[in-house]
Amino acid sequence: MAHEDSFSGQRSIRSSPFTRSAALAGTGAVVGLNYLKYYGRRAIGGTSDTTKLHEENAKAVYRTFSELKGGPLKLAQMLSIDKNLLPDAYAREFAQAQYSAPPLSYPLVVRTFQREFGKQPREIFDTFSQEARHGASIGQVHKASRGTQEYAVKVQYPGVADSLQNDLRLIKPLALQILGLKERDVAAYFTEVEERLLEETDYARELGSSIRLSKASAHLQNVRFPGYHADLSSAKILTMDWIEGVPLDRFADGGADQRVKDQIGQALWDFYHHQIHVLRVFHADPHPGNFLVADDALWVLDFGCTKTLEPEFYDLQFQFLDPALIEDRVRLREALESLNVLKPDDDETFRNEIIAMCQGSLELVARPFRSADFDFGDPDFMKAIYDLGLESQKNEIIRNPRGVRGSPHTIYVNRTYFGLYSLLARLRAKVKTHLIP
Amino acid sequence: MDNRSAADRRGVTTTAMDSKEQILDRYAEHLRENGTRPKSVFTFCKDLQISEEDFFRCYGSFDAVEEEFWRRMIQNVIASVTAGPEWAGFGARQRTLAFLFGFLEASLRVRSILLIRKESFRPLCRSTWLRGFGDAHKEFMRGVLAHGHDTNEIAERGALASVYPDLFFTHLLAVIDFHLADTSVGFERTDAFVEKTVNLVFDLIRTQAIDSAFDLVRFLIPRR
Repeated sequence: MAHEDSFSGQRSIRSSPFTRSAALAGTGAVVGLNYLKYYGRRAIGGTSDTTKLHEENAKAVYRTFSELKGGPLKLAQMLSIDKNLLPDAYAREFAQAQYSAPPLSYPLVVRTFQREFGKQPREIFDTFSQEARHGASIGQVHKASRGTQEYAVKVQYPGVADSLQNDLRLIKPLALQILGLKERDVAAYFTEVEERLLEETDYARELGSSIRLSKASAHLQNVRFPGYHADLSSAKILTMDWIEGVPLDRFADGGADQRVKDQIGQALWDFYHHQIHVLRVFHADPHPGNFLVADDALWVLDFGCTKTLEPEFYDLQFQFLDPALIEDRVRLREALESLNVLKPDDDETFRNEIIAMCQGSLELVARPFRSADFDFGDPDFMKAIYDLGLESQKNEIIRNPRGVRGSPHTIYVNRTYFGLYSLLARLRAKVKTHLIP
Repeated sequence: MDNRSAADRRGVTTTAMDSKEQILDRYAEHLRENGTRPKSVFTFCKDLQISEEDFFRCYGSFDAVEEEFWRRMIQNVIASVTAGPEWAGFGARQRTLAFLFGFLEASLRVRSILLIRKESFRPLCRSTWLRGFGDAHKEFMRGVLAHGHDTNEIAERGALASVYPDLFFTHLLAVIDFHLADTSVGFERTDAFVEKTVNLVFDLIRTQAIDSAFDLVRFLIPRR
């Protein structure tokens, strides 16, 4: 029995790139079908839905990843499914990845300063906390001050950039095994993830993105950014203003007025909308830890992971937002072909089934865009998206996708929309959703 | 180093102190340039334009020169890390780390010599001239460990604790070995190695892990 379970699990998992791209290609809201997240949940959920099993599996998977810090820890975070789409136990375990790396000792922080600036922290700042105020997956944040100015100083773990590729090489067979994926099906996806992760280890690049993107989004209502300090930053150290605020997840779960929560949700929506559809470069890590709420405004903290949308890909990906397209089978079919979700050698029956399936999932993920206002607090909506993921696991076509389908670029688009939807759901926010200009 | 002025000083106001410095500097320079120590005290003195008598007044042999070289190196590191304003607030773990990072920083200045002497720094392969270096380190670590007892970072366990300084010295040699083989940018991997191994060692000596291992070995030995 156990043998059979794992066998069928593997088959259905292999289908995932297809699943993901079919559903997500539409709005880019991959939601429940997100390939990595979906698979993560599949692997953890197995064929049983019992909470206990989820919990034990989640712990086992989490432990495997967390024992390998750095790259694998980031990978675990990527896999981590936001609250609503993952069994609770799973999400909880993965959420810890954000906080569980052992802190850098203060002498090592001093050593890093010495190497980067030729000076010790106390020679640069008036005060500098010896203990990290909070952790990040590849570094930690210290609080410092000079005069009346307070700073958040992010210090990277030594050798992270160096060992990341090694770590990924190490984790890859493990991840494939845990998640039941086949290497040839996911090679392109791993490359995409590896590129983004390597970018995250370059704080000089992050500084550039942060300054550029925060300037280009500065006009948005209720969206704020800390000031960045290039003179106090390097490839391994990033210094910005210290912001005193409440992390977004705590704010969402807290007792703030729903009017304020709506306002924060709107700010979040506007921020992503502006980036994806206007700037076409976006903050691809909508983790609640990357946002603070202070003075009824949303503060955006971490631009380590950004994704640029090339015009060709943008056009292909977001053509699915057109409601008319989803109704029109001929156009939908062309659109799916253009994204490589449908392949030239697929037979007619297969095509029809895929198209029918995509119509359902696309309608769902594009729904927020269909009306002027959308209530993410509607539990039916998030549940429908979650069920979509469950349903797709049972679907024979999705289980046997016949090769790799879709584009690896969708990973971060999907992850971002998925994260955005689940943050908005957590805020129970009513949002004015704009149509694409 | 200007040989002529050194020789002049020798003629006029040479103190033993000056000669010691000169000999050390020139000896290190010779090692760096040639990869070996000078052929004989005679050629070395001729080159430095001092008498052999001067040399032997300061050092009994090249081994003694080399011992002094490494002893000073580690003592300078100890002096500089313990002088930092944060030192007093550090626990034993942080003191150990601060020392090792200070050592790594200082070792960049003598890295070429360390590479020449690589074999001698391997654990279990200790040259006689490394004794001063080892003694200075062990004495320093005894102080750090005593501080660790005060801060309850290290469990008191009598006779076994006496091997700790040796344990830490072996660890230092392992760090040096790792450092010399490290090709990462800025030797970041060595930093990570130091951080992780020191954490491990302190986790071991804080808990009963070593006692338990010791107890197990004691249990097994008579039965074999």
